[in-house]
Amino acid sequence: MAAVGETILEVRDLNKSFYGVAANEQVNFDLRAGEVHGLLGENGAGKSTLCSVLAGLYRPDSGEISLDGQRVSLRSPHEAAEHGIGMVYQHFRLVPSLTVAENLVLGLKGQGVRLTLRAVETRVAEIAEEYGLSVHPSAYIWQLSVGEQQRVEILKQLYRGARILILDEPTAVLAPQECEKLFEVVRHMADQDHSVVLVSHKMEEILGHTDRVTVLRGGRNAGTVPTEDATASQLATMMIGAEHMPEAGQHEPRRIDDAEPVLTVTDLHVTGDRGTPAVNGASLEVCRGQIVGIAGVAGNGQREFQEALAGLRPATSGSVRLGDRDITAASPRRRSQVGLAYVPEDRLGTGLASGLTIEENLVLKSYREPPHSRFGVLSSSAIAATARTLVERFDVRGARRQMAVSLMSGGNLQRAILARELTRSHDVLLAASPTRGLDVAATAAVRGHIRAETDDGRGVLLFSEDLAEITELSDLILVMSRGRIVGSYTPETLDVEELGLLMTGAKDHGAHQDGGRAA
Amino acid sequence: MTLRVSVEPRARPALAVRVGVPIASLAAAALVGAAIIVVSGNSPLEAYRTVLDSSLNGVRPITRTLVLATPLILTGLAAAVAFRMRVWNIGAEGQLYMGAIAASGLALWLPADTPKVLMLAAMIVGGSVLGALWAGVAALPKAYFNTNEVITTLMLNFVALYFMNYLIFGTVSFWRDPGRNYPQGKLIPDSAELPIIHHRLHYGLVIALIAAVVLWWVLRGTTWGFELRTIGDSPSASRYAGMSVSGKILSVLALSGALAGVAGAIEISGTLKALDPRAVATELGFTGIVVAAVARLNPLGVVPVAVLLGAVAASGAKLQTIGIDAEIVFLLQGLIFLFVASGEFFLSNRLVVSSTSAAMSQTPATEAAHE
Repeated sequence: MAAVGETILEVRDLNKSFYGVAANEQVNFDLRAGEVHGLLGENGAGKSTLCSVLAGLYRPDSGEISLDGQRVSLRSPHEAAEHGIGMVYQHFRLVPSLTVAENLVLGLKGQGVRLTLRAVETRVAEIAEEYGLSVHPSAYIWQLSVGEQQRVEILKQLYRGARILILDEPTAVLAPQECEKLFEVVRHMADQDHSVVLVSHKMEEILGHTDRVTVLRGGRNAGTVPTEDATASQLATMMIGAEHMPEAGQHEPRRIDDAEPVLTVTDLHVTGDRGTPAVNGASLEVCRGQIVGIAGVAGNGQREFQEALAGLRPATSGSVRLGDRDITAASPRRRSQVGLAYVPEDRLGTGLASGLTIEENLVLKSYREPPHSRFGVLSSSAIAATARTLVERFDVRGARRQMAVSLMSGGNLQRAILARELTRSHDVLLAASPTRGLDVAATAAVRGHIRAETDDGRGVLLFSEDLAEITELSDLILVMSRGRIVGSYTPETLDVEELGLLMTGAKDHGAHQDGGRAA
Repeated sequence: MTLRVSVEPRARPALAVRVGVPIASLAAAALVGAAIIVVSGNSPLEAYRTVLDSSLNGVRPITRTLVLATPLILTGLAAAVAFRMRVWNIGAEGQLYMGAIAASGLALWLPADTPKVLMLAAMIVGGSVLGALWAGVAALPKAYFNTNEVITTLMLNFVALYFMNYLIFGTVSFWRDPGRNYPQGKLIPDSAELPIIHHRLHYGLVIALIAAVVLWWVLRGTTWGFELRTIGDSPSASRYAGMSVSGKILSVLALSGALAGVAGAIEISGTLKALDPRAVATELGFTGIVVAAVARLNPLGVVPVAVLLGAVAASGAKLQTIGIDAEIVFLLQGLIFLFVASGEFFLSNRLVVSSTSAAMSQTPATEAAHE
């Protein structure tokens, strides 16, 4: 085993692309024995791709991986495990109806026909003791809390002899106390000469619990620095990139001083899937002719916020008003009828029903209205006519009449959703990551449609993880972190460094309570 | 260089594939069935000739096949409509029993001189209502507490079966003929019998065919059907579009139960003429699931499939006379289901054989499969 501080893992010029889109470009990375190495970057920066290559899940298009100075190829998770690399995913891979010990030996070769669980349990208890991972080996997975299940995942890797442990956003699923416990375990492992790669987009975790940090941006290296020399603002700049800093007055903000608010959210609280608060008192206002962008790292309550605004998730308290109407408790259909258009993040599956045809999807919200149906009977000719018009107007390509939309490309799916949403009468457009994964032409088309909304006096609330998109389109930029609006900028007052700090939670203005309207 | 076989999704299969795959599946089922018949010490050729002779060769065999197909069309539709929304109603069996109990009860309770049209209408409506209510027992907890309908509908089959048995075997109920020593249902009056088309073939077939066409149109041409298909395709998109999923669960299960209930009413009125639990409980509801699956949940497809399975069933008695167990009929039905369901895979996917060099990187599709 390498001595502490020696490089044990080295990645050189790694390239990996999916469907022609580069996820990793010329990425370099090195890991030393006994260190906790932070991997920081925005969503889509290439962190997960790099980790998946190291874990043997993806094969690189080109590039070299060396372990202890020897070039290796990691062709499967099994091979990676043989080289002592183990990964703990965000979504645990455990069988709930089996015990901890049973899960640990699941899929392991060389077990023989008879399971000797007693021996496994003894060994597990030893490892658990050694690393401070308190888990009972004969407990069933379903009995364990999320934090305990994560410890089982870590135990599993240690049991299989991992000396390099990759933790993919391990705190995303944990409560604060459990996070503290996790970092104790991580430190303990490093003290025992194991190396830990800690993937995160939370600044304080990186600053507080790593020895070195590598920042990725857009699939490329943005730099590697010792954590003790790094500052939050330096890392935030590396993460977001100087080229994303918009120059002041890059676009003329529309004057909204005398405009009436068309969407008003007051002190909204929403509960997430896990029963914990996801949105904690968000307030904002969108005026006619205004685009309000909400920047933030995924998982800070944006999805729950959108769903609450769209009526797909109940608000626990607070209110949502559309013009003069209170729609806090209105159904999704009612909201659509009174003027809320919604372009959801999940295009195929939520925005569109994947197995239905383009025609059926284009009338997904208007099928109950004449001329598409009368007295519950659909008019296929009226539906076909509407579809023809929309397909032509929004340039939706690649659709055939009887074909399921799931076979269309992402850009055309988004055009179809926009065609349906924007041609219904509405006052507010709620758009979530509207250009994610789209090519240049489709991105330009989608942004063009969003801009055109304001010309007609409508308001737009734009959620995006793409900061460049937010700054390019928005008249008012809000920052969301931990379920709150924590910052508010106009294009003139925008301070990207500060915004990065707010996004990553390294800096907290305290709850931003001025209603979101720019000063 | 190595040869690699990979699976690729098919966009929309060509007509030749859509027709060819089911035929190949049937042929495969017949072939495996033949092997089993050989093992059991009989001649498969003779067995299959008997099947064809006793089900399709001549007017009487054909009427027998159609009489057996009639309830299968209705229970096939019952399964198809629910399965289209991915609501797994396994309870058509019990819903059919309840339909039979309601229809025979009404036929015995209403005056025997009630006009035939009114009598038959009352029986069919009564059967469908009790079938729908019986499905509703499972639908309410499914819609509001998200209980697993597979378990509830399946268990309710047993409740319905024992209730029906109790009415005839367990007590001298209104349904039981008190004049006989052996427990038996009372015969329904002539006014409660469906008119005959030819020989033993009754107008229940026409009712079943009308139900198939109407259901096909409802799924295709109404907002109700559109919502059902959307919810079945993607629940998340349907909620986004403002559809009420729980309300739909209630109406779909009610319709499914009603169709099975009508099947029960028609069995009483057209074939059995009395509530005879042993003749009612012949797995018509379960076979309907096979019919729906083989018909790919298409209401019009249900008709030929029901006729096919009816033909196999029609030959059961005749097979026994040549020394082959009647159970072979169920075996053949099972094989047809198995092979057609496997054939489904080839309708939506195709195998691609390609030669690749081992060094070539994996495609993203196979990588995703590793996860």
